[in-house]
Amino acid sequence: MKVELFYAPGCTKCTATKADLEAAAEMAATGVEWCEINVLDSLDRAVELGVLTLPALAIDGQLVFTTLPTPTQLATELRHRRGVQGHGA
Amino acid sequence: MLTIGKLAQAGDISVDALRYYEREGLIAPAAKTDSGYRLYEEDAVRRVRFIQHAQACGFTLTEIRELLHLRQSDRACCNDVRQRAIEKKLQLATKIRAMQVMSAALDRLIAECADGTQSVDDCPILAALEQVDDDMERAS
Repeated sequence: MKVELFYAPGCTKCTATKADLEAAAEMAATGVEWCEINVLDSLDRAVELGVLTLPALAIDGQLVFTTLPTPTQLATELRHRRGVQGHGA
Repeated sequence: MLTIGKLAQAGDISVDALRYYEREGLIAPAAKTDSGYRLYEEDAVRRVRFIQHAQACGFTLTEIRELLHLRQSDRACCNDVRQRAIEKKLQLATKIRAMQVMSAALDRLIAECADGTQSVDDCPILAALEQVDDDMERAS
C-alpha cells in the first residue's frame, strides 16, 4: 500500500504529527510505502487526486483524509483496506 | 477622514462596491456625520486595495475576511497566510484542469462537425450532446 501525505512547507501541524502517523502506518500494515509530498513540488499530483486543502492524505491513489487523521484513524483505515484486499485476493 | 465618495475615488472603486464590502463586514466607517454620512479613516484606502488585490488572486470575500483577521491576529504568522495562498493555488489548478477537460470535449465536438452547412437536424454537435444526455439517463 502507498500512503501519500500532502503538506505545505512550514506546516507545523504536519511536522508535529507525521512521524507518529508513519509509525502507525508501519505498525498497521506491512510493506507500506510512505511518501511525504511537498505540494509545491507536486501540484499536478495533488490536483489529480483532488486535494484542495492541506494537509491531506491519500492511500493507493485515493484521497482518504482531507485533514490530518489521528494515528489510530490511519491505522484503522489501513487495516480495513488490507482486510478488503485480503478477501479480494 | 474620508467620505465614501473620496474613499471610492482613492481606491478606484465604485461607491456601490464599498457599500457591498461594508455589508460583507470587510470595511466599516470609523464615524458618521450628524447628517448620517459615513466617514472612513485614511487607512481604509489601504484596506480597500488589500481586498481588491486579494480578489484579483482568486480569494472569495469570505476568505478575504479571514486574511484580514489573520493580519490583525497576534497569534498568526506568515505561514498561516502562505498555507491559504497554497490552498487557493490548488483550487485554481483544479478549476483550470476541469476547464481543460471541457475545452478538450468541445474540440472533439467541433472536429465532428466538419461540414457546417448541414441542417440543424443533422448537426453532429447537437446529436453528440443529446447522446451524452442519453448516456447520463442510462447511468442514473
